[in-house]
Amino acid sequence: MKRYLETGNFAIAQGAMLAGCRMFVGYPITPATELAEAMSRHLPSVGGYYVQAEDECAAMHICIGGALGGLKVMTGTSGPGYILYADPYGWAIASEIPIVVLNSGRVGPVSGITGAPGQGEFYNVRFPTQGGNFETIVLAPNSAQEAMQLTIEAFYLSERFRTPVTLLADQLVTDGMEDISIPETDEEKQQMGLRFKEREICRGPEFYPPVDAIDLPPVVLGHNTGALCSDWTPTEEGYDTEEVESCHKRAYRLIYKIRNHRDLITRYEAFGMDDAELVVASFGTPSRVVKSAVKQAREKGMKVGALRLISLWPFPDELFQKKTTYLSVELNYDGQLVREIKRACPKDSQVHFMGQCGELPRIDELLTAFRGILDGKNVSVPKWQGEAW
Amino acid sequence: MDYLAEKYFRKRKTPSTACSGCGLGQVQKMLAKAIDDLDLKIEDIIWAASIGCSGRQTFGMWKGDGVAATHGRLYAMMSGLSLALPPEKRIICTVGDGDAFGIGLLHLLNAARRNVNMTIVVCDNLGYQSTGGQYSWTTPASSVTDSSPYGMYEPNWVQDGRDILRVIKEAGATFLARHVSMDGEFGVESMKMALQNRGLSLVHVVFPCVTNYASTALGSRNAVTVFRWIKSHSRHLDEPVDENTIWQTGVIYDASNSRVDYASLMRDKTQELKVRSR
Repeated sequence: MKRYLETGNFAIAQGAMLAGCRMFVGYPITPATELAEAMSRHLPSVGGYYVQAEDECAAMHICIGGALGGLKVMTGTSGPGYILYADPYGWAIASEIPIVVLNSGRVGPVSGITGAPGQGEFYNVRFPTQGGNFETIVLAPNSAQEAMQLTIEAFYLSERFRTPVTLLADQLVTDGMEDISIPETDEEKQQMGLRFKEREICRGPEFYPPVDAIDLPPVVLGHNTGALCSDWTPTEEGYDTEEVESCHKRAYRLIYKIRNHRDLITRYEAFGMDDAELVVASFGTPSRVVKSAVKQAREKGMKVGALRLISLWPFPDELFQKKTTYLSVELNYDGQLVREIKRACPKDSQVHFMGQCGELPRIDELLTAFRGILDGKNVSVPKWQGEAW
Repeated sequence: MDYLAEKYFRKRKTPSTACSGCGLGQVQKMLAKAIDDLDLKIEDIIWAASIGCSGRQTFGMWKGDGVAATHGRLYAMMSGLSLALPPEKRIICTVGDGDAFGIGLLHLLNAARRNVNMTIVVCDNLGYQSTGGQYSWTTPASSVTDSSPYGMYEPNWVQDGRDILRVIKEAGATFLARHVSMDGEFGVESMKMALQNRGLSLVHVVFPCVTNYASTALGSRNAVTVFRWIKSHSRHLDEPVDENTIWQTGVIYDASNSRVDYASLMRDKTQELKVRSR
């Protein structure tokens, strides 16, 4: 095991290389710049290509090209760059190309505040492109160590599901410095629960079968398979078609290859849930404060549980089936995760929202909110009057 | 069926679904003839297309592997693919004028800077014709189109002393030619040169659109009218130009194999760094 005191960006780079990433295409943007820097420094030593693109749209297209040639590829950015991925992200979803993408959240909208954490991208990563008719896979680490491990998991899932996978971090995860352990031996990798999958090549002639099966190898060009891939609705052989029946079949595949195998994707961390009268849901860095606050609350006798989502999409509805009171703690003011909780939970559950941006909630603020909710009050963040959602 | 179509193109895509009188087939034939003359193998060519008439018609046509990218981003995608492909494979792109000189120009210029090893044939039907006939940046001045009902008055990329190929040359492309689709063997020779350059080659070929361009700009849906009109506005580079000349045809710039292509550069440099890190 190699140990470092390093940033999350560095950890993600190490994870990517362990997973077999051999092309990284970057475009400088805070707070994901150090990932590109780390890749430019270390990737050539394993024979991988570092490319700096003319913009983020080109970056992900170059990634697609690399993946179409059989390489494992990655790109990384923040919100303002992620929105430029919309075009290639759609292509990669539609043509079923494995790519791993980092989105490190800062404060929005648009350029907002560059050097502070935000979670305004919860829905953006679910709907990263136009048109609908697809499901997405998104993982959300809350530490540098977990960012490394989830990067490897993202590569694994992207190969099995033939789809781009987004790693949704935030500025504190990617810029923050922490202890990181990088496994070296197979045994160490196994101990960490890391999963790996090599690239295989789809031999055709059915490159786009209308089934929900996973583990179909992706299309790779240059191997004399007669592969066809495009952004149009494909026939099973990959020809472009305007037939509505083909559109139905492909939408079924793009949605249900993921939804029907969600047990392979869903990850979460739960704490104190059994007797919880209040479940506090969060993801990313705020979940670390939430965990501390919930522990303290329980010491004070409050029946509070913490539920941290590690995989965000497909949304784990099954975790919100208990009829109880929920509180969503997020780094945004408009309330995003809370909407999904409201949709997923039993009808007569109470759902509260506590959001702010650019800085983490304090433990005492959380404890006050927990107490208030348990006493039957509606909560709102101090300095933020009225119900936010 | 044409012997070249039979040899190189898939049955599903031949004959094409292009409009009656469309000149795109002439461009495809020139390219197929150049490939045949050079005896290139089907499995060694990745055929890349994009959006619009030229994209939709040429995607899935080649018997080997085929890809169609998002509008204008093919040049970036192929920059990535070129790095991952074995050196003996080559990329041929058939794209439209809107794709190359409009929405994709940024990516095309950056691909030229990198000298990505690919042959780009810009199939120019003088506007956005698959959407019904709007002007593009190669639409001749004062042409009436569906989006220039008072005549095209926005400066284009090919007249009044501007030439988009000069821009692409300065960006670093290593082979450039321009033709009209009636050029036949003359165009085939340029395409052969383009295919023999290990680097970014671009051949700009103007072809007639009968259904939309001719109909609105020339007031006729007679194929002969637009074929004659395009031919009469082109001049061989060696011939004197006159006030009618829009397109000077022939090899505009030939620096074939004069500088390293992107994939070779990256492969060698990465190998060097890999060895150094040991």
